[in-house]
Amino acid sequence: MTTALILLPLAAALVVWMLPLSGRAAGALSLAAALAEVVLWVVALFRFDFQRDLQLVDRHSWFSDLEVSYHVGFYGFSFWLTGLTVVVSAAAIGYAVWANRERARAYHGLMLFLLGAIVGVFTAQDLLLFYVFFEAMLIPIYVLVGVWGGPRRVRATATFVIYTMAGSLLMLASIIAFGITQGTFDLIDSGTSSNTWVFLGFLVAFAVKAPLFPFHGWLVDAYRESPPEVAAILSGVVSKAAVYGLLRIAIAKFDVELVLDFQSTILALAAIGLVYGSLLAFRARDVRTVTAYSSMAQMGLIVMGLFSLNELGVNGAILQSVAHGLISATLFLLAGMLEQRGGTSTFADLGGLARGRPALATILLTTGVIALAVPGSVAFAGEFLILAGIYPIGWGWAVVGAASIVLAAMYMLRLISAVLHWRRGPAATEASRDLRPAELALLVPLVGLLLFLSAWPAAVSERSFPLRVQTDEAEAQAP
Amino acid sequence: MAGPEITWYLIVSAILFSIGTLGVLLRRSPLIVLLSLEIMLNASNLALISFARLHGGHDGQIFALAVMAVAASEVVVGLGLIVAVSRRRLTLDVDSFRVLRG
Amino acid sequence: MIQGAWLCLFAPLAGAFAITVMGDSITRRTAGWISTLSVFVAFAGAVVSFVGLLGESPGEREHLSTAWTWLSTGSFKIGMTLLVDPLSVLMMLIVTGVGGLIVLYSIGYMDGDPEERRYFAYMSFFVFSMLMLVQAGNFLLLLVGWGLVGLASYLLIGFWHERAEAVAAAKKAFIMNAAGDATMALAFFVLIWQTGTLEFAEAFVGAEGMSSTLLNLVALGLLGGAVAKSAQIPLHTWLPDAMEGPTPVSALIHAATMVTAGVYLIVRAHPLFELAPSIQDLAAGLGALTLLVAGFIALVQTDIKRVIAYSTMSQIGYMFLGVGLGAYGNGMFHLMTHAFFKALLFMAAGLVIHHLAGEQDIRRMGGVRRVMPKTFVAFLVGSLALVGIPPLSGFFSKDAILASALASGGYGQLLFAAGLLGTLLTGLYTFRLFFVVFLGRPSELVLQHAQGSHGRPEEEDASRTHGKTAHGETASHGEGPWTMTVPVAVLTVLAVIGGWLQIPDVWHPFGDWLHDVAEPLVEPSVTQDLVASALAVGLGLVGVGVAWLFYGARSRELPRVAGVRHALEHKLYFDELYDLVFYRPAVWMAGVWRRTIEEPLIGGSITGVSLGARRAGGVLGETQTGYLRSYALAIAAAAAVLVVVFLAVQ
Repeated sequence: MTTALILLPLAAALVVWMLPLSGRAAGALSLAAALAEVVLWVVALFRFDFQRDLQLVDRHSWFSDLEVSYHVGFYGFSFWLTGLTVVVSAAAIGYAVWANRERARAYHGLMLFLLGAIVGVFTAQDLLLFYVFFEAMLIPIYVLVGVWGGPRRVRATATFVIYTMAGSLLMLASIIAFGITQGTFDLIDSGTSSNTWVFLGFLVAFAVKAPLFPFHGWLVDAYRESPPEVAAILSGVVSKAAVYGLLRIAIAKFDVELVLDFQSTILALAAIGLVYGSLLAFRARDVRTVTAYSSMAQMGLIVMGLFSLNELGVNGAILQSVAHGLISATLFLLAGMLEQRGGTSTFADLGGLARGRPALATILLTTGVIALAVPGSVAFAGEFLILAGIYPIGWGWAVVGAASIVLAAMYMLRLISAVLHWRRGPAATEASRDLRPAELALLVPLVGLLLFLSAWPAAVSERSFPLRVQTDEAEAQAP
Repeated sequence: MAGPEITWYLIVSAILFSIGTLGVLLRRSPLIVLLSLEIMLNASNLALISFARLHGGHDGQIFALAVMAVAASEVVVGLGLIVAVSRRRLTLDVDSFRVLRG
Repeated sequence: MIQGAWLCLFAPLAGAFAITVMGDSITRRTAGWISTLSVFVAFAGAVVSFVGLLGESPGEREHLSTAWTWLSTGSFKIGMTLLVDPLSVLMMLIVTGVGGLIVLYSIGYMDGDPEERRYFAYMSFFVFSMLMLVQAGNFLLLLVGWGLVGLASYLLIGFWHERAEAVAAAKKAFIMNAAGDATMALAFFVLIWQTGTLEFAEAFVGAEGMSSTLLNLVALGLLGGAVAKSAQIPLHTWLPDAMEGPTPVSALIHAATMVTAGVYLIVRAHPLFELAPSIQDLAAGLGALTLLVAGFIALVQTDIKRVIAYSTMSQIGYMFLGVGLGAYGNGMFHLMTHAFFKALLFMAAGLVIHHLAGEQDIRRMGGVRRVMPKTFVAFLVGSLALVGIPPLSGFFSKDAILASALASGGYGQLLFAAGLLGTLLTGLYTFRLFFVVFLGRPSELVLQHAQGSHGRPEEEDASRTHGKTAHGETASHGEGPWTMTVPVAVLTVLAVIGGWLQIPDVWHPFGDWLHDVAEPLVEPSVTQDLVASALAVGLGLVGVGVAWLFYGARSRELPRVAGVRHALEHKLYFDELYDLVFYRPAVWMAGVWRRTIEEPLIGGSITGVSLGARRAGGVLGETQTGYLRSYALAIAAAAAVLVVVFLAVQ
């Protein structure tokens, strides 16, 4: 089952690349594959028992003398992250079909390949396999941004690749060291390590991916210059690979004392990122930049939740990951639709779009208020859990987090007003029409999921970790 | 076995080797550089044969024969280069061949 | 009874959802009726719950009903839980009853506005949020309702979103409320880790073991939220700006319901406040301060709605005063009567504004009595109730609070004095407004709009009235359509008789109703009641008299105290202070960080990397000299070093 989830998009990618299809056909096939992936995930959902540990496991030996195997499986929390992946990817591919990308075969093949690689990252239970998928994510992104991106795409994608590779190389060194000392590269069979350098190697790689302050230099350019749907995947899904890595490897595979030694530093960096990202989002001048910095802030918050190392914080982090993934995907797709109409998503050029465009206004408003974590939304639920989890570590962290609630309100309301309110700007002409059915078909499911999760966040939060794991973590936290 | 101690042979070999090295490093004419290289090779041959004599085996001598063969081939190539250079009336100065620099 | 509560909660949400989804396929009128109906259905649900509770003995009147688990992680569980008890049912009745009347009124007021459907969807959504707040069975759900109410307020204040002032006011309201949300969240974190739960009853019990510092922090956090939501000093600056919204919004949200949520919170969480008495005293003190400051500022306002807004702020100050001293029943009583007469005042003002095609400046009004006699009566009743003239409702409720203050020891008596001064101010500013608007000779503007000869909004005030009331084919006689006049009439009656539910020492069903939920800390004696009432009524009448002198009979000139007047007109410079302390530093810091950190980081990192790589390449390239001899030297040297190393290792 798990292997099917990984292989389906990869196989579809091959088919799309090899067959001489027209652009439209390639798009249709790609979308079909993405939707099939969603269906497959839903089927797996019904077979999933959230009270048990690793499930839907496939294991085959790969390099037996090094104890490297093809070992994949799902935990509760990685299952939700995978669900997020397939949904956002389907929406992104749908957007690409609607936007009619050139050289569609290459494009869709790359998107499908990316999807397969990401699912692989979330399911890999062997370190070398994890590394392979982690790096495999990079190649399609590099090409997608570098070829189909905006005016400064080459610089943006080069920056992104260099940053990520630097981190990944450190991670590779750590993986090798870990595997050799543990005697196996398997995540289930190996024990925990107490080596600081190995830990740092992993930490840096994931800190770049998230991104965590100050490793975020690649963020703004990459999100600005990507095609909107790629930005949606980047900020919505790829950043969650860092979440998964931090939780599955950096926290679970190292001695508790070691992690606790680094806890304050990591929390500090995450908190700085939260405030820094929020303030810069507040003064940003277009939709994409706001969403980019907001992404950074939210990832800081999620990392804070992870490193609170208690039940509330970690569950909150997973819930918030799912929420943020959906939110930022929707925002980027909306930004793309605005750019399609007016050529720009800069605030100075927009405005007054609410009049006469009820669908656009409703969707942007709904997404915006969920993004700022209005109480009652799934983002609020996640944020509340995270901050409640971080409070016992130090009340100062909780105060910083609470202050960022106000900052989030400030920058999101500013975004909403700049697009929808006041007078119409030069780019918001009469001709830019309301959202059409095709666009609504992309956005409504995403927003609908957000609303559903807002009404029932326990769907995810209660089912991320089987109970006994949580109590173990809680015991590990007894000072 | 009669004759001087092995040490003396090695000292001679070392002296020859140093002379050869200095010649390679300090002389500017390619011919002299090749000559010096030959001296170095012969010095190592001497060392090889001395050690062969010391240990009583034949490995060193065989290796020395191999070295002689290689030396001869390399001299051929080197002299061929020098002839080609002088045909073009370029200066026969090692320091003037600087095109392949970083 | 429980089903009644669930129906009450979800009917307005269903209404909002229906209007949103049906969009253009229903007429604007229909949207209005859907919304009104949804709120009245909610009222029916509330009545059912009320009747159900009546049938039970006082000790049993508490029911929790959980529909599903909203949020949980292993050991921490929050359910979608409703609480039906006397306090919540009281609020449900007020919210849906007064709310229903106001939504009905909106049908007439908003008639002709092109975005009417959106308005009614928002109104229904607001009622749902407010009900969520008052019916919440645990603190987290209360916070959810709290935040959603703030959202609804943002949507409705900024309803005419092409006006920059409206959008700015909406954002300001939301952000100040978000600050309150943040402090409440912090209080909840403490509660979770100290008591393990956010359910009301368990948290109250668990809190008894907490240290006093933590208890003070929790109470302070809750108070922060209450102060923000109820627009008390220091988080009050958003309320006057919120008058940018349509008048029914001001009536519903900023008079009757949302702004009273802070009072509700204090009563609901009173065990926590009683464990932190200094914070409770602080609440009372802030209430007293606000009622005075707001009263003074109201004296110089020229916008009819802003006067009423400051009056609201002031009256809520009374409520805070009451509950801060432990007079929960009296505080809630004033909440109820205030809902009646304040909504009445706003709606009557709305009738005037509607009639004058959007004009709100009282200096351009005058003699409206001649043109709108029924509104004149309604406004008079509302004003008298507000000042607290017997036997209208405000008299009973306000004086009960004052009596409680008198009975609360030294601190209470200080606040009592403040409250008395407040009654003088109330009489003054209320009747200033009344006399200026309604008495005297009709002004030019009023004459223009007399006898229903109002056509299009005049050009002279196009920018002010743009987007506000637009007239369709309004009935040219009468002061408005029945959808507007009937609710006003109903509220007028309620403003008169509403106070008769609690006559101190004679009969007090209201106090008894709430007794089990929130036992008052102080019971004034009969003498105290009489003294308080006499003084309050007396001073109120003095205020009315002074207003008559200056504004009614116009027999005296206003004293010109320039500095004071200036300060009051600028609302004591709070806005400027907050701009300086919060907004500008945020902007400045963002700019500084962008320049010093972000740009070097983004630009620097990648150019730095590439330049660095080039330079390193250049440096290493220097070793490729091209000289044969230097290469030879390198080989020789390396060989020598290796030899030495090998020998050493041996």
